[in-house]
Amino acid sequence: MIPYDTKFQELSSRLKLASGTSRTSVASGCDLFVRFITLRSKSLEEDVWDSKNFDNLKNHLVERGKHFMKRLSGSRKSIAQLAYPFIMDGVTVLTTSMSRVVMEILAKAHEKCKKFKVLVTISEPDKRGHRMVKELRSRDITAMPILDSSIGFVMERVDFVLVGAEGVVENGGLINYIGTYPVAVMARSLNKPFYVAVESFKFYRMYPLRQTDLPNESKYLSEDEAEHPVVDYTPPQYINKLFTDLGVLTPSAVSDELMKLYI
Amino acid sequence: MVVDSRPDLRGVNACERLTEADIPCSYVYINSATYVMKDQVTKVLLSADALLANGYVLGSVGTAMLALIAHKYNKPVIVCCETYKFSERVQTDSILFNELADPKDMLTTKTGAASPLSTDPAQRKVNLVNLVYDATPPTLVSIVITEIAELPCSSAPVILRRDGERRC
Repeated sequence: MIPYDTKFQELSSRLKLASGTSRTSVASGCDLFVRFITLRSKSLEEDVWDSKNFDNLKNHLVERGKHFMKRLSGSRKSIAQLAYPFIMDGVTVLTTSMSRVVMEILAKAHEKCKKFKVLVTISEPDKRGHRMVKELRSRDITAMPILDSSIGFVMERVDFVLVGAEGVVENGGLINYIGTYPVAVMARSLNKPFYVAVESFKFYRMYPLRQTDLPNESKYLSEDEAEHPVVDYTPPQYINKLFTDLGVLTPSAVSDELMKLYI
Repeated sequence: MVVDSRPDLRGVNACERLTEADIPCSYVYINSATYVMKDQVTKVLLSADALLANGYVLGSVGTAMLALIAHKYNKPVIVCCETYKFSERVQTDSILFNELADPKDMLTTKTGAASPLSTDPAQRKVNLVNLVYDATPPTLVSIVITEIAELPCSSAPVILRRDGERRC
């Protein structure tokens, strides 16, 4: 088992290095993948694990891997199915940066003929909010880019905030593109609901207590620490609900799900 | 920084053990907790006597006070608790169910002289209450560290449910 373990670790670290800003989600996805394919389920026949036949075992691992990928690719659709009823006619939704899950939810709501408006923060430094606006407009959804600094100004006319995630940590806190934490604090201050749309493979076994507890590889793209961080951590008390493929969860339910997987 | 309180003064023992392990430590009474919390403390480490099913932490009296002060100054509160201490009881305050230790312990004074309160019990008009435990709400605790996992305080019932399932 030892060479197999290190091979997976090597592959995971190579993926993480190549993934740019999505390092956290790649890390959690890899951990869960390894965990999932080696999980011994009770229904499985004993001879697959106990027999000396390596091919049987290898086939089993490959099958589990395919099953995992199938679940992963279907997760965005199931999240959209769960979350679109929360978008009612006439609402104004605020979102940050570029999230494909949020895009899927908004597209589904639009498909179901709901009339709503989307405000997207531009999200410095790489201004990915513009990409989100372009995508939304291409699907005929009313979208407007707003300055990161104007969230205080617009928050009073927003009905709720819906963001994606790079990762969700053990206490239900959120790791997302930099600029999400201030939006959450602003939303809480004006009593606006703050929702997170996230696939379950992004649940990560990490427990940060403060921003500095995030590992440097997640925060900075290069070795240079003078650079601006690319992600921030939003504590769970600012999050109302999480839309995941496991259901609509509260932040305290996230640790429950993680414990089911790991303990 | 070791915070201690009367009448047990168990913090003295903690300080001795820390210095034996070559860990530099300071010692204060709980009266000055607010004073030190602001600038001199970065994290608060507490132990628990029990973790209740609704997430409340039952610790020695004074724990809730430290957690509240830490929360006010935005310092993380870390509670260390083994899973055998997780209880199915639910409690929201420390008045309904608590223990009383010997009230005479409260009568010791620094100089060793008799306390003005130490008159005959029958004549005593002052009620001496020596509470043992207090309850800290889960919103004041950042993380609970057990031997099997780190979890948020609200997840205590998850461990209880797990252990319940395993026993069946």
